[in-house]
Amino acid sequence: MYRYDEFDAAFVRERTEQFSDQVKRRVAGELTEDQFRPLRLMNGLYLQLHAYMLRVAVPYGTLNSRQMHKLAHIARTYDRGYGHFTTRQNIQYNWPKLQDVPKILEELAEVEMHAIQTSGNCIRNVTTDQFAGAAHDEIIDPRPVAEIIRQWSSLHPEFSFLPRKFKIAITGAQQDRAAVKFHDIGLMANEKDGQVGWRVFVGGGLGRTPMVAKEINDFVPHEDLLAYLEAILRVYNLHGRRDNKYKARIKILVHETGIEQIREEVEAEFAQLKDGVLTLPQDELDRISTYFAAPPFAADADDVLDAEQHALENAQYAKFLKRNLFKHRQPGYTSITISLKSVGEVPGDASDAQMDAIAELAREFSFDELRVSHEQNLVLPHVKKSDVRAIYERLVEIGLAEGNAGLISDIIACPGLDYCALANARSIPIAQDIAKRFADRENEFGELKVKISGCINACGHHHVGHIGILGVEKKGTELYQITVGGDATEQAAVGNILGRGVTGDEVPDALEKLLNVYMDQRENADEPFLDAFRRLGEAPFKEALYG
Amino acid sequence: MANANAAQAFVPKERLSDLQLVALNGMFDERDALSVLRFALEELTSHPIAMVSSFGADSSVLLHMVAQINPHQEVLFLETGKHFPETLEYVETMKQRLGLTNVRFLEPDTSDLARFDPKGDLWQTDPDSCCHIRKTEPLDAALKAYGGWVTGRKRFQTNDRGVLPHFELTSDERIKVNPLAYWDFEDVKAYRAEHDLPPHPLFNVGYLSIGCAPCTSMVKEGEDPRSGRWRGRDKTECGIHFDVSGKIAKPQAKGQSMKTLFKDGQFVEDQWRDLADDDALIDLDHVFMPFSLYIEHKDRLVGNNGALGLIVQPGDDVHEIGDDVHRFAAIAVEFPKFADGRGYSSARLLRERYGFDGELRARGDILTDQVQFLRRCGFDSLVVVDGPTRNALENDAIAGVSVFMQPTGRDIEVPAGTRPFLRRVK
Repeated sequence: MYRYDEFDAAFVRERTEQFSDQVKRRVAGELTEDQFRPLRLMNGLYLQLHAYMLRVAVPYGTLNSRQMHKLAHIARTYDRGYGHFTTRQNIQYNWPKLQDVPKILEELAEVEMHAIQTSGNCIRNVTTDQFAGAAHDEIIDPRPVAEIIRQWSSLHPEFSFLPRKFKIAITGAQQDRAAVKFHDIGLMANEKDGQVGWRVFVGGGLGRTPMVAKEINDFVPHEDLLAYLEAILRVYNLHGRRDNKYKARIKILVHETGIEQIREEVEAEFAQLKDGVLTLPQDELDRISTYFAAPPFAADADDVLDAEQHALENAQYAKFLKRNLFKHRQPGYTSITISLKSVGEVPGDASDAQMDAIAELAREFSFDELRVSHEQNLVLPHVKKSDVRAIYERLVEIGLAEGNAGLISDIIACPGLDYCALANARSIPIAQDIAKRFADRENEFGELKVKISGCINACGHHHVGHIGILGVEKKGTELYQITVGGDATEQAAVGNILGRGVTGDEVPDALEKLLNVYMDQRENADEPFLDAFRRLGEAPFKEALYG
Repeated sequence: MANANAAQAFVPKERLSDLQLVALNGMFDERDALSVLRFALEELTSHPIAMVSSFGADSSVLLHMVAQINPHQEVLFLETGKHFPETLEYVETMKQRLGLTNVRFLEPDTSDLARFDPKGDLWQTDPDSCCHIRKTEPLDAALKAYGGWVTGRKRFQTNDRGVLPHFELTSDERIKVNPLAYWDFEDVKAYRAEHDLPPHPLFNVGYLSIGCAPCTSMVKEGEDPRSGRWRGRDKTECGIHFDVSGKIAKPQAKGQSMKTLFKDGQFVEDQWRDLADDDALIDLDHVFMPFSLYIEHKDRLVGNNGALGLIVQPGDDVHEIGDDVHRFAAIAVEFPKFADGRGYSSARLLRERYGFDGELRARGDILTDQVQFLRRCGFDSLVVVDGPTRNALENDAIAGVSVFMQPTGRDIEVPAGTRPFLRRVK
């Protein structure tokens, strides 16, 4: 894992001091809200419905136990005893007091964390595969490049006042678990002539206007990547729309200008920047890579789960083994997903006690490493198969042993009307109703991603849910529009809207109808919902829902 | 109503704290004026919020909104005794047109008038006192029963109102609500047209802001809309919008004589000016000219011997003049809003791509947090009016970091020893 040197530490310390001073001046009334707003936005401090919300960056979703303990401590001391992990692999605190913010930032700096650039129209935290460095299907570990992008984009003087926020995702695996095609820039490792470089996608996004990113270049070598990114950002900064905030993302620029012309402009800019100061030397990439070297795996770790017998005795544990383990590159090891989607709970929330317990699990069993996934779960990336049973027992104790990763109750949901000023409808209660309704049968349905947004801003990623649910407000009532067929992976697709909205109470019934079609018409138990939908088309689902 | 429910959760109990006010402004940042007004009148505090109208040049917008929310809402009008007859006529017109049933006239205290303004000519000798007895006192008395009041003030009206928020706290913990804070002249015009609202009879003959007859004059084209109020006097507000401290929430630095150009560590006299409409394009010296005009006339300007300057607005493509940069002694890049960051890219292209080595000036909405970014992108002079930013510049206390994570083309950013390749120190 990347460790700050004195240079990074000085950078964060100075920035923290600077922002702390601004907060103090705001509290003292020396700054008006208008003067304070641009400052706080660059530093992750939002206003939500009830209070300030502080968003803390978890760079590419990677944490160690000390950091997780600190996050727990902040939840306990300055918030209401919990934190909320987000789809951007960050953590949010929903109830900090403004006057406490400087202290929180100081505490974060102690463990090399901060809230810089987690909001505002700048380059946000780079996200990646939660199994990076552990996954069996990896071409290259994306974290060193993610770290280099983090450094390059931190307080970039040219790109801190972009037309709109800018999100970059990167994956080094064959299967895309970072939804790179739904980011402003998506990077996918690509092998060409024995060299590894990056396929670059541009102009993806969700929100009001969901778009699948277009490929702008199929191979950019490591050494040119930053120059290429700078070229894209410069073209966007100069030409992205600023007249309408809903049309200001790069996806609209790409859509309205056409990918061919954008490519031409980016390539022209890149031609000037190439071989300049941004050229990444191999020895720097190597140096950063050493921070992400594989941990000292035991070569002789037993490659079978010792728990088959227990699984027979315990259906919940069997479900956990089936759903929450991910194949590791190292024989004898596995990655464990800790689901933050326990039935009846708020998706993505973890209490201070849970965070502390998870930090201890990471320290004892996973080489002190933890990940946050964009599906709002936590991951122990490097776990010995022989330890799975023990970890499971510990998770049971803290109420986080739900074996539902990738199942219908593993729902992404935005905060919705309960917390958010923009929302039209509630999201969290809908997620809870769905989880409760299908808890008994979810194994039968297999992999099924349900995503819920409380308004068209789509923070719950409903466009890419296998089943997506969008809350809208019509004439004073909350209605829910249902989409089917969305996909956030490399086969990226935006879901189809099936028809008119249903009320909140009717959502579980509507899903049941869709699932009945799937169960009746799937080819066999191995055909997942999404594949069946692609084969059958939307007609039978529409028919079932609206008759 | 989902939004009403959402807002209810926030209703403060008694008086708003500073923090709540900040949160409130954040919540309504991007809401429309009607939502702000509805929330203020129906939900904001346990004490009622007063609606005050001047029935002036652009009062019709708020009055129309009030009528939509509740035509029986009490509307307070300061009957100073010095109004134009057209204004009083307009009060009646609007009452009928909008169905307003509860317009209450607030009149000056008769004993005050007898004591301080027996002849009714106090405005000539002491307009501040005149405003005080005819406006401030009657309004203060009427507002005792209220938790706050609604005003029609807008940011665009004068420099002083440039940062007006939706909600403000007065020093006696009451709240002032400005639903139209973010509206500009065009918005008002469009709203009036859309709802076919009758204009104040004097508006069409050139009164853009209307107060009492003796102290209101016509506004010339291009003037600040409120410049017709107390013309010729060092007075811009009547007093009802002052805080107890005697100051408006946030006075902007202003005045012709102020030096706004910051260069080489101090505020200095500006040797440059912008091209005027009636300037001929000959013998220009220390004159900034608009980008498009330069493109159009660049050949004619070849023989110009004086120092030529260029203005680059957001949207101007500096590639078009890239090969001509040596012809300019200074280039001014505009930042009409701090959030519009196009000028940073323009600056880097001018400096790094095209090798411009003259004065590169940033103008517009320059705030302290941008200064370091601007400098790193190649600016070496700044035109700054924002008070706190000026103070910070003068005291060399600009917010910033001393280590940089990425290179730009600035000389000050040299690789430091064995630092990793992207990093620079100041």
